[in-house]
Amino acid sequence: MKLRLRIRRTPLTIFKEGDVFTKLSFLVWGLSNMVRGQIAKGAIYLAMEVAFVYYMITSGLTNLVNLTTLGTHEQGMVFNETLGIYEVQQGDNSMLMLLYGVVAIVVVAMAIVVWMTSVYSGEDARQRKISGRKVYGITDDITSLFDTHIVRLFLCLPLIGILVFTVTPLIYMILMAFTNYDANHQPPGHLFTWVGLENFRAIMDASGQLGATFLPILAWTLIWAVCACFSCYFGGMFLAILINSKRIKLKKVWRTVFVLAMAIPSFISLLVINTMLGNNGIINVLLQNWGFTTEPLPFLTNATWARCTVIVVNLWIGIPATMLMTSGILMNIPAEQYESAAIDGANPFQQFVKITFPYMLQVTTPYLITNFIGNINNFGVIYFLTGGGPNTLEYYKGAGKTDLLVTWLYKLTNDSNDYNLAATIGILIFIISAVFSMITYARAGISKNEEALQ
Amino acid sequence: MNRKEIIGLRRQPQLLAAGVYVLLLICWLLPFVSVEGTTMNGFALAKSLAEGGSLLGGLYPLGAGLAVLLAVCGAFLAARPSVKGVRVWTVIGAVEFAALVIVMFATKGVLDQSGLLPQAFLVKNFSVGYWLALVVALVGLYCAMEATKVSAGYIVLSVMSVIWLFPILWILLTSLRGEGGYYVGYFIPKTFTLDNYFKLFQEGSAIPFGKWWLNTFLVASVSCVLNTLIVLMTSYVLSRHRFSGRTLLMKAMMVIGMFPGFMSMIAVYNILKGMGIGQSLGALVLVNVASSAMGYYICKGFMDTVPRALDEAALLDGATHFKIFYQIMIPMAKPIIIYQLMSAFLGPWGDYIFPSLLLGDKQSSYTVALGLKWLTDTQRIETYYTQFAAGAVMVSIPIVVLFCILQRYYVEGMSGAVKG
Repeated sequence: MKLRLRIRRTPLTIFKEGDVFTKLSFLVWGLSNMVRGQIAKGAIYLAMEVAFVYYMITSGLTNLVNLTTLGTHEQGMVFNETLGIYEVQQGDNSMLMLLYGVVAIVVVAMAIVVWMTSVYSGEDARQRKISGRKVYGITDDITSLFDTHIVRLFLCLPLIGILVFTVTPLIYMILMAFTNYDANHQPPGHLFTWVGLENFRAIMDASGQLGATFLPILAWTLIWAVCACFSCYFGGMFLAILINSKRIKLKKVWRTVFVLAMAIPSFISLLVINTMLGNNGIINVLLQNWGFTTEPLPFLTNATWARCTVIVVNLWIGIPATMLMTSGILMNIPAEQYESAAIDGANPFQQFVKITFPYMLQVTTPYLITNFIGNINNFGVIYFLTGGGPNTLEYYKGAGKTDLLVTWLYKLTNDSNDYNLAATIGILIFIISAVFSMITYARAGISKNEEALQ
Repeated sequence: MNRKEIIGLRRQPQLLAAGVYVLLLICWLLPFVSVEGTTMNGFALAKSLAEGGSLLGGLYPLGAGLAVLLAVCGAFLAARPSVKGVRVWTVIGAVEFAALVIVMFATKGVLDQSGLLPQAFLVKNFSVGYWLALVVALVGLYCAMEATKVSAGYIVLSVMSVIWLFPILWILLTSLRGEGGYYVGYFIPKTFTLDNYFKLFQEGSAIPFGKWWLNTFLVASVSCVLNTLIVLMTSYVLSRHRFSGRTLLMKAMMVIGMFPGFMSMIAVYNILKGMGIGQSLGALVLVNVASSAMGYYICKGFMDTVPRALDEAALLDGATHFKIFYQIMIPMAKPIIIYQLMSAFLGPWGDYIFPSLLLGDKQSSYTVALGLKWLTDTQRIETYYTQFAAGAVMVSIPIVVLFCILQRYYVEGMSGAVKG
């Protein structure tokens, strides 16, 4: 292979070193390409520039300006002098202004990327021309998409998808946390505006009603996540060890029983269990028929009962999943270790504590922490089982005693339209998840060498 | 005492079990039930209930008889041990224990009917004799099982299986129940019928379940194929190609993934509305697929383990990277593709949040998750509970079948996720 000295190019060096066409191509995208013979490519860049400029002039600039105010004209009655009557004047829609503003930001960012690509591409064409190498035509470029530039081909669609349906909405929602877009400021009837960190202050302020809701819900979310995570982990591991133990026959049959429970879509099993646990549900009916109790038990209607119920029911779903996952790992533990331990007189419990558990813990730590974060965000179990209830007046609008942060977030957006609070909570959940993830990766060593797996 | 060693039989637990079963006999003589001064021991109960002739009432005479049998057999086997004998003995012990457990649930019905007691019976009226008998029977069973080296794990597994199968059985039975209604005082239906299933798919019925099912199936299948394609492309590129911004991209996707997914759904909803495809199934597919690249992690982890030598050999032979992708990578990644297809199918199949927000009240586009949740509403649950159950079964069956066939791949993928 020929050794080529590569000087790191930056837009600045390109501008300095390039000829007049290169310099002009900073203004007229693709000019440098066209001059070196890449007509089609240059034309595409130019077309993009024209489209961008057209967008900016027609709506982009206004959208960006509107983003700073989020609307100034409130909808209301205005006197129409020619007709002599009051009529409804369409006000500004703050929500759409915010959304369009975010779109404008993303479009500008994309335009900068395309601009820089055109500059680099033009410079590349110039260099090739100078050094006498072939300047690629458009057909070469297209075929190279299937070979050397396959990265561009394969990542194009996924990245556009993420940009449009994840990044843009996310920026929009993050910005929303700094506005007062709540139930009292609903567009198009009303305007909302920037309020800075007010929402964060309100949520953290323990003396206000919002704070009095947020802090207990946060505490319950963490308690729930710890309980749900560890109970399923140990329960599943216990079950896997039991089924895999040498003296158990018909392993497949036993496993199928539990896999059955796992295979049923969880929303189905949760809805079914929810109907079973109601005051008139089969469990309460049977418990009364069997003489265990004379009154229906408040499985889902008493705060403490409901909290225990969701943790126990979560076992029903979580244990088979962990069992299935740990089964494979258990088989990887060398059998000789158990044999020698047995010879030394270790009982099954000692074998578990000294051999199985340390091994499992080491292998499954990342799983455990992802599972923990997953449980912080475990929408399904709470929503389908208790709907966050029992509701309480101590909490802000409709939040209940078993609500997690995510289900509260859902209620805030869906039921009470307090989007600003929902967005704020979303950011706080992100911070919690990020902290736990960072701990994981620091411990598990994410920087492990990817090539080492070969 | 016969001290002869017998292969496959441990004397110590056997003798212990024999002793325990004598204790069990004593337990039956202790007060079993006491209500307001009326106290009866196990044998008295068995004697009174034997004349009743009901099936569950027969549990008492059965239990009492077996207790005697167990003690006698225990003494006999202690004198003349044999593996077969102990096995039979263990089975009898298991039946005794099961009978005692069922007694806990059945006693109220039996006693309230028999009129032996001055007032209605409650479980708390069981006396020391019963609870002791229950514990002793369990210990005896355990010892007897230990004697023939049968794992006591079977007891735990049986109990757990009952717990895990209970809701499944309940929903199956409810879906076959002839008499409607949510509130029923019994477990096994009085009449069986398939009507609930037929009604679901009837033309013009109040609940368009057939349409919901089809909607869900369409959305899930289209999303799963597109999702898998995108994940494969992304993970191939991230696994095999080193380009500038690669690690940045991976980190960015990880960070973005930490935001609660549906936090941004309002914005997505508005964007879709802006595109003019709000409230449609196409929008649902688009949302499911658009961000699927974020789930590249497991697939990339698998591809990292496919030997690079294969690619290099192909490159030397003049293959393009695209050819390497579909002629080497895709065949090699078959297990993970199946896993990806499966999980990408299961996701939309059971997804509730996005459809609920997107489709709102447009019932004709509902997916099964939305529809079934709607059916369990307090206003509808009484009328539609049996049909809800039938619907739940119809939704679960394809998934359970799929899962049972492809379980191996699913486990592989999952443990792949663990190893990272």
